[in-house]
Order: sequence, then structure tokens, then C-alpha cells
Amino acid sequence: MPSRPLILTATAIVVPWLAAALAALVRKNARVIGFVAALLSAVASGALLRGTPATVSLNEALMLLFSCLTLGATLVLPRRDCTPGTIAGILFLLGSTLLAYSAKNLLVLLAAWVLTTVPFCREQWFGSATWRPRVGLLISCVALAAATGRIAAGGHDMSIDHLKGLGPGGTSVFILLVLAVVFRKGICPAHAWVADAAEGGPAIPTALLLNGHLGALLVAKLIMPLFPHPAKDLFPVLSYLALATALYVAIRALTENSPRRLLAFVALSQSACILAGLESGTPEGITGALVHWFVVTVSTMGLFGILRLLEVRFGENLTASTHLGLSEHAPRLAVFFVVFGLALVGLPGTLSFCSQDLLIHGTLASHPQTGLLLPLATAMNAVSIFRLFTRLFLGKRRTGFTVMADALPRERWILTAGVLFVVLGGLFPNAFIALQTEEEIVEQAIYRPVCQYLGPMFPRAFRHAQVAAPESSYPATSPAA
Amino acid sequence: MSLYQAALVFVVFAPGMVFVVFALLWLLGWAPAERILSRTTGVTFSACALALVMIIRALAPTRSLPVVVTFGNWFAVHDYHFPLVLMADRLSLPFLIMTVLLSGLIGQFSVTYLHRDRGFLRFFLLLNLFAFGSLLAFAAGSFDLLVGGWEIVGITSVLLIGFFQQRPSPVENGLRVYAVYRACDIGLLVGVFVIYHWANTTVFVGGLPKLTGSRALIACMLLLLAAAGKAAQVPFSGWLPRAMEGPTPSSAIFYGAISIHAGAYLLLRVQPMLAESRLASLAVVLIGLATALYGTITGRASADAKTSLAYASLTQVGIVFVEIGVGWKSIAVAHILGHATVRTLQFLRAPSMLHDYHQMQSAVGGELSPTGRHLEEMFPERLQLWLYRWALDRGHLDTILDRWLIQPVLRLSGIFTRLDGLGLGHVSTRQQGRA
Repeated sequence: MPSRPLILTATAIVVPWLAAALAALVRKNARVIGFVAALLSAVASGALLRGTPATVSLNEALMLLFSCLTLGATLVLPRRDCTPGTIAGILFLLGSTLLAYSAKNLLVLLAAWVLTTVPFCREQWFGSATWRPRVGLLISCVALAAATGRIAAGGHDMSIDHLKGLGPGGTSVFILLVLAVVFRKGICPAHAWVADAAEGGPAIPTALLLNGHLGALLVAKLIMPLFPHPAKDLFPVLSYLALATALYVAIRALTENSPRRLLAFVALSQSACILAGLESGTPEGITGALVHWFVVTVSTMGLFGILRLLEVRFGENLTASTHLGLSEHAPRLAVFFVVFGLALVGLPGTLSFCSQDLLIHGTLASHPQTGLLLPLATAMNAVSIFRLFTRLFLGKRRTGFTVMADALPRERWILTAGVLFVVLGGLFPNAFIALQTEEEIVEQAIYRPVCQYLGPMFPRAFRHAQVAAPESSYPATSPAA
Repeated sequence: MSLYQAALVFVVFAPGMVFVVFALLWLLGWAPAERILSRTTGVTFSACALALVMIIRALAPTRSLPVVVTFGNWFAVHDYHFPLVLMADRLSLPFLIMTVLLSGLIGQFSVTYLHRDRGFLRFFLLLNLFAFGSLLAFAAGSFDLLVGGWEIVGITSVLLIGFFQQRPSPVENGLRVYAVYRACDIGLLVGVFVIYHWANTTVFVGGLPKLTGSRALIACMLLLLAAAGKAAQVPFSGWLPRAMEGPTPSSAIFYGAISIHAGAYLLLRVQPMLAESRLASLAVVLIGLATALYGTITGRASADAKTSLAYASLTQVGIVFVEIGVGWKSIAVAHILGHATVRTLQFLRAPSMLHDYHQMQSAVGGELSPTGRHLEEMFPERLQLWLYRWALDRGHLDTILDRWLIQPVLRLSGIFTRLDGLGLGHVSTRQQGRA
């Protein structure tokens, strides 16, 4: 008899896949099918989260977040985009991403990793003009597959729990996994595909793809727990790369005039902060990164959703090179945009204020010199997002539009829910931080191994760390043992 | 929680609640009438003023300040805590009173001034949010909480500069001010981090964290960067005339009264730490002196009333910085309170200045004699001319910032754009459409 968590996990994953097939076959009532499937998936994820002890609930929380995000996407999706193909793609992506979150086996994780990219192979989603997204995703898949193959060739058990601390496959596998993260996440110099995907692909599905944050998942779930020893030498490098990416794309965004690309750069810069926080190895940095994960996901999804709504109403050739004055036509969309935008860059009263505070403390504590790049990048992102807001929404009222609709009720309610999430999360951040601070994944999978190996290198950063003896599940070959 | 503590909490959070309730209702589709909004604002600030009077009357005879309210930690991660502590002490109480009274006054003034304006709701929401941010910054018992209020003041300030959003110039000026604020706030963020890192706390209830020597110097210089940005001190003064694009009531409360003095408040708060470092104190004095001179010279070449008032404001804030730098705390506080009150009145009268002058000239039976001209005539004519040109370009401060900071960063961004395009033999379809 399968256990209750297994049934709920299977429901959360399989229902969207079945619904995707149904939407593709029936080709009618796509939005209804998508909504019901995402709702069922969210309910199952919610039940799973409720039944999981708070100390081991990060994956379940991420599953709930992503299914709620997809639920919102099915409502916000403009009628023009709400085709059976798009809904099927979104639902397939939902199922695959949830599979990645819940995967406890390396092969399952690899399968989920590849499956999330499948909908984007469609010609309609990433047109022929944008080859870099396909290449980026392909390289990340190949790198992860090669790493998995090398581990399998070594005769290891493919269960992630059993691989912890073993460093299976050695440095070559570690490098392959880092390569997969770099390409999937869009870390410099492999960042360009993210902007291309946002520019050339469908806005909302692409935002969902980016907000799966599977690159960060791979770091948190696989690289840090499995490879504590190579991390000693290579973690600072990856951390510097993440910080450099945050700054590089933040500078790049300053002169970008395409709203989609600009949003992609800001989202990428903030996503790189997640990686930098995870790699800081400090409790503040890791917790900040995990909380920031929630913030970036909701905010960028909201921003891309609003941008798409504007494109549908006012034309696809929106630009940040001139003032468009759209707030006169869509004042509520303007307010939603500025709240989500500023929530992404640390507006007080929102969840990102807490996450940024933790991230800055964490990264500065572990890397005093390069950590300064984080507040610098955030400041530049704030300027870029505010510039985009002023250019899109402020300025002289435009005439000649036949459609003057502000946010429709269904859009308004779902965007309000998003705003409430970031604001209430900011007012009561402990609800999220409790998920992370007492989290086994932080204590065992990430923090403790990192402390063990990096502690001697950065005594100040780890001065509060109580480095416990290795778990019994840790191998005797581990250097600490 | 005692009655005084409850009163302090009410004072800080009441304007914030007004903002949240009205903003949420509007987002969900309800547009409140002007009368409802203005009366709610009026009642809120009146109640806040009464609560402050209650605190003062109850505590003044026994001299039992400060009132401290501790809510525990907002969030905590291992050894790191974000303490939620509110405090009304001898320094923050005058600032709280000033904020409540002037915000209420500006609210009442704006009921008529912005009657039937399309942005009436927006202005009042932002006024309440600004008051909340200021009260939070002034009543904060820790640097962490102060940062929260500080950032809220910044964003409301910028949104009100772009209040007349149909014209591109206020919007662009708002963006410029926001960029300066965010750049200088890095100093505050990193400063708070180093204080925590070295003192293991950011709470200043019962005294500042003890830092001495080079640590005090580094922390103070970082906080000075933030204070100088917020108070438009040299070399960041270029944003102040740009901020005059906002509606007059917001100019009055931001740049005549509260926001412009927030930097001085921060320095007053860290004055004991400042006293530990002669170099930092000297830097505060020098920046203040430079700003006072800059403000008085540049203000004389200003052609409009609000900009002249802004530079006059800048001169006084520069002098306040000097007072803080030499350690005259009480004089600085008195100076701030007097200056804020007078300047708010002047700003609010600015739209009817010509009318006022006509009345005064009628009363004295001729033209009023200009003041301060004898000072200018003390300089040689060539120097006067040079200073006039220098003042016309506002001390070249914006030009210098543009040439040495903004343009290089934008050029770098352009280089990155070209790097990103390497290997692409095409332009995307969307870009082609735009072209």
C-alpha cells in the first residue's frame, strides 16, 4: 500500500501531465482544464506540506509555490495566449518541475531536468531566431547527463541520500554539475540565453521555466551535500561567478530598452544572488537565499505577467526608450508593477527586505570584498526596474488605443494575491524563515558539511557554527571522518 | 504594554495602516471620495498628535524617557537577529512631533491645494506612507529598523517628484533622485553590516554599540555617505533642484522639513561614535561647510522661488552638519526644528509669493531692499562673474557626476551589450519589428 506522501506527490505531478495530454487532445476549454489541474496539484502539494514536519519541508514548500504560480499563470494568461498548446506546455512544465523538486534519485532528477525543457523545443515557443536558449538548455542537460553517467559508471547507488558526502565521481563530476548549473541558471558567461528566451519566447511560460530555479535546486540538493570536499577549493570560485553575474547583468540592464530583456536581466541578477547566498556557506546567506527564492519567483512571475498583459493591450513593441504613459489607461497594472518590481529589489515591508538583509549579511561575512557587489548590483537593479516602470507607465497619455481596459477582475484578484504574498511575507517573515532555519536541508545537507570544510578557511564567517560530528550516514572516506 | 508604549506604537503605525487599507481597497476596485480620504488622514494625524502629547505630559515631569517598545525579533537566523524595537528618547521625540504636526498640516493644506486633482488619492496615500516611513526611522531602536523607514522615505519621495507624470521632466528627475538615493543607501546597508559585524548588535536603546578607532571611522564614513545622499550634501546636491518638480506640499514636507533632515538625524544618532573618530567628525564638518557655501552661492543664481528655497534649505542643513561635526547636538536639534518649521511655511507660501510681495511692497510704500547683496559686492568683479557662471551650472556637480560616474557605467553597459551580441548574426524578430 503506497504511503500518503507518495500518493499526494504522485497526484501533484501526474494530474498536470494527464491534464496536459487532455488539453492537447480535446483542444477546448484549455483554461478550465489548466486551472483545475493546477488547482488539484496545488491542493495535493498543500496537503503534502501540511503532513510534512516543518524541519524537512523545503521541497514541499517549493512544490506548493510552483503549483500556485502555475495556477496564477492559467488565470493571468491573456485570451490570445490561452491556446491548448500553451496550456498543455505549462502543465507539462508544472509536472516536470514538481518531479525535480520531489526527486530523491539522481536518475529521476535527470529525467525531470530534461523534461522541463521539452515544451520549449516547440518551434512556436522558441522561434528559430533564438538559438541560444536551446543551446543553453541542451548543454545543461548534457552536462547533468554526463555527470549522472559518470556516477552510475562508478557503481554508486543513485539515491541522493546515499550519495551524500561521498563526492561520487570526483572533481570531474563536480565540474560537470557546476557546468549544468551555470548553463541552466544563466551564470556568466552563459547568461545571454536567458534574455533571448525572455525576448523571443512566450512571456509567461518562459517566466515559469526560469522561476523553477532548477540550477539553484541542483546546488542545494546535489552539489553541496554530495561534494563537500571539492567545495573547499571551488566554492569561492562559483560564489565569485554568481556575484559577478549579479553585477554584470545589473550593469547590462541599465541601458537595455527592450522591456522583456530588461526584466530578464534583473531577474537573472537577483537569481544569481540566490546562488551567491547559497554558496556563502553562512546560515544568514543560505537562509536569505532560500527566502529570496520565494521572492524572486513570485515577483518576476508577476512582472512578466503584467508585461504580457500590457503587450496584449497596447501592442507588442513596447519599449523603455521613451515614456509611454500607460498608467493613465491601466493604473492598477501600474501599481502592481511597481510593487512587484520594488519587492524584487528589497522594498521595506516586503519579503525581499528580509531576504536582502540576510543575503547582504551572509555574503559580506563570507566574502568581505566581493560581497560588496551584492548591494551594488541590487541598487542598479532597483534603478533599472524603476526606469522601466517610469518609461512604461509614466509620461504623456497615449491616444489611439481601442482597448483601454485596466486589470480585469480575474487578473486583479490573482495579482492582489501575489502582492499580499510578498507584503504579508514581509510582515511575518518567520513563517518562511522557520521553514529554512530549522531545516534539515540547511543543517545537514548544506550547512554542516560546508562548515566542516570551509570553517577552517573562513573562521570569522563560521565563528558561530557548531560543527557537529559527521552523521552516521556519512561515509568513512569523508575527509572529516 | 503600558499606555505610553501603546501610544508610541499607535503614532508610528497609524499612518501606515491608513495607507495599507486604502491602497488595498483601491486595488480591489474601490475609489474613495476626497472627503473620506482627507478626513481619515486628518483624524489619524490629530490622534497621533494627541498620543504624543499624552506621552510628553506623562513622562516630562518624571523625566522617565525613553519609552521603549520591544516586539522581540522580526526574524532570526542562528545568531543573527533583526530586532523590532521602537524608542522615543530625547532625540527622537522632537522629530516624531515635527513629523506628525507637519504631515497633518500638509494634509490639511493639500485638501484644498489638490482638490479635484487626478492624483489626489495618490498624493494622500503617499503622504501617509511617507509619514509612516519617517516615524519608523525616527522611532527605530535599532539601525536595522531605521533602514526600513529610511528606504520608505526615499521611495515615497521619488514617487512624489514624479507626481505630475504627464510631463517627462519630473519623471526623469525622479529617476535621477532614486539613483542617487539607492547609490548612497549602499553606505547605510554596509555601515549597518559593519556595526553588527564588530559590535554584534545594531540596537542603540541604552547607548550606541561601542566602536573606536578605525572601526568607528569606517562605520561613520559609511553612514556619512548615506546621510550626505539623503540630505543632498556636496557632492550629491545636484538632485535637490530636480526634486522641486513635485507638488508644492510635498516639496515643503520633504525638502523643507523632514526628508532633508533625515541625514542629520542619522548623524545625530551616531554622534557618540562620530566623536570617537576625529577624521570622521572633520569630514562631517567639511562636507557641511562645503554644502553651506555651495547652497548660498548657487541659490543666489536660482531663477524660481522653489529652487531658491531649496538651496536656502541646503545651506541651513550644511550648517546643521557642521554643528553635528563639532558636537553641538542640542543646538543642531533646535536648529533643525526651527528651520523645518520656517521653511515649510515658506514653501507653502511659494505659489503666492508674488501676491505676498505686492502686499508687502504696498505696505512699505515701495520696493523691498534685497538682502545679502553687500556680501557679494565684497568680492572682485571677475570673481563675482566666475561665481555667477559657476552658480548657473549649479557648481558643475551634475556635470562631474555625469562625466566621471554615470557615463563610464553606461559606456560599460554598452560594451556588455556588444559582448552579448557577439556570435549573433541576426537581430531577433521582435527587435526587427521595433526597428
